[in-house]
Amino acid sequence: MSQAKIKVENLSLWYGAAQGLKDVSVEIGEHAVTAIIGPSGCGKSSFLRTLNRMNDHVPGTRLTGRVLLDGEDIYARGQDPARLRKRVGMVFQRPNPFPMTIYQNIAYGPRVHGQRGEARLREIVEQSLRRAALWDEVRDKLQKSAFELSGGQQQRLCIARALAVEPEVLLMDEPASALDPVATSKIEELIVNLKESYTLIVVTHNMQQAGRISDRTAFFLSGELIEFGPTRDIFTRPRDRRTEDYVTGRFG
Amino acid sequence: MATPGKVPILDRAMRVATGIVAGGALVAMLAIFVFLLRDSWPSIQYNGGHFLTGITWNIGNLYGNSMSSHNGVQAPAGATYGILPFILGTLLSSLIAVVLAVPLAVGIGLLLVEYLPRRLGDSLSFIVEMLAGIPSVVIGLWGLAVLIPWIGRDFGPWLQAVLGFIPIFRGPVGSGQGLLASGLVLAVMITPIIAATTRDVLRQTPRETKEGALGLGLTRWEMIRAVSLPWSASGIFGAVILGLGRALGETMAVLMVSGSAVNYLPQNIFSPIGTMAATIVSQLDSAMTDPTGMAVHALAEIALVLFVMSVVVNVPARILLSSAVRRGGDAQ
Repeated sequence: MSQAKIKVENLSLWYGAAQGLKDVSVEIGEHAVTAIIGPSGCGKSSFLRTLNRMNDHVPGTRLTGRVLLDGEDIYARGQDPARLRKRVGMVFQRPNPFPMTIYQNIAYGPRVHGQRGEARLREIVEQSLRRAALWDEVRDKLQKSAFELSGGQQQRLCIARALAVEPEVLLMDEPASALDPVATSKIEELIVNLKESYTLIVVTHNMQQAGRISDRTAFFLSGELIEFGPTRDIFTRPRDRRTEDYVTGRFG
Repeated sequence: MATPGKVPILDRAMRVATGIVAGGALVAMLAIFVFLLRDSWPSIQYNGGHFLTGITWNIGNLYGNSMSSHNGVQAPAGATYGILPFILGTLLSSLIAVVLAVPLAVGIGLLLVEYLPRRLGDSLSFIVEMLAGIPSVVIGLWGLAVLIPWIGRDFGPWLQAVLGFIPIFRGPVGSGQGLLASGLVLAVMITPIIAATTRDVLRQTPRETKEGALGLGLTRWEMIRAVSLPWSASGIFGAVILGLGRALGETMAVLMVSGSAVNYLPQNIFSPIGTMAATIVSQLDSAMTDPTGMAVHALAEIALVLFVMSVVVNVPARILLSSAVRRGGDAQ
């Protein structure tokens, strides 16, 4: 395995009295796709959202343990969540473009982060849209509202938007679950292409998808990390009985 | 006993009933308009366009026998009915109220939705809604007892000293009654209304979109500017117009602090004013003594102008608000 980009140590998470994650420890490799699978409510989205501190905004959340990004604890006192999230981008389950033009959707982030020159912003917009495999479809309607795009296009726009602030890690929370099969395969192809430049962590409901796109897979059940290893091993010779039951479709 | 055939019948009955009630509101509005038009008709004939542009309100000599006649209708000798000062008083006091209330109300709405913990925000929301329900006469009394002495003694002279280089802030402060006091009282009244509606509209901003902004590394304020405000803009605008509508029609509180000026165009922010709504009340007693009835007809025409103004302001606001809420609902 390549070098660890993110190291999670003894992470536990509570929503009020309910425990969402139980003593999770894991190392996530750089420039790889890590899939997170498990049945609904197993804690996979909660886990993903601890990696960019998105759970900070959910009232009643409590957390113990450490999450290290390049060796630095992101929950340490004095860490700025906004700066963290610039490094650890996120793509959500449902496309969530801003109520602006396509161009502004992409340019907004870089501009807020201090990028001023309009020529440079245009470059960033084009480059991000190309990386998200959307450029050819929208190059002539950059000034149209983002809501005029199809669902699959909106999701790629959201990926482009995330890429535009040059993150190191990209978290994706079931990025294709609201899309049709054609749009899904485009997103999957994109994910595989992106790992050259980014570290990707993808939560998915769909085990075939995990098999197609990921290098390593983590299986969660009831807030516990049951098994973590190379994707092929998880699907062909799981070590834990519960993993085997899940990947063979006995429950979930 | 419920038979399958019964449900559609009940359904249809319900639809008819709600249709009648909904249609009733429209009929009531039309009826008010028709009544006002009928009551003010002699005044419209007597005054023509001069009613809106004249600056003198004089109900004439009620004790002589001489009459003045115009377009076939009669009024006491010397009577002229010009309401431009009242129109200006209404518009200017409402404008001051809106200018003061909007930043405050939007700030309160943002505070309630985005910055306070949910439970604290909910209890403060309750207080804001209670403020919106305070009877206007109570606020008027507060204006009379507290606000006016304060303007007359402290705030007015201070404004003069600081902003006196701008003409509208020059001029005698007087007792404190007038345009500024009216604007402030109206601002107090409409701030909770705009704040409560702004809060409702802001709450409609989809959580996913807000998280999308945070996920880019935007701070909370940057997220509000990128997502919450653009998303809510038309709804907030609607809320402002609703507040404006309320301010235009407010009667009692303004009557108590405006100085009830007649025949006087406002010169600066301290000028005594009369508003259309307040003038109807303050002039009604003497108008009733006019044997020709023309003074009452003229007051009815003020009411007609005010009614038309309110409709013109409120209808677009309601449309904006309902479309904002609908869009929020779609995006959920």
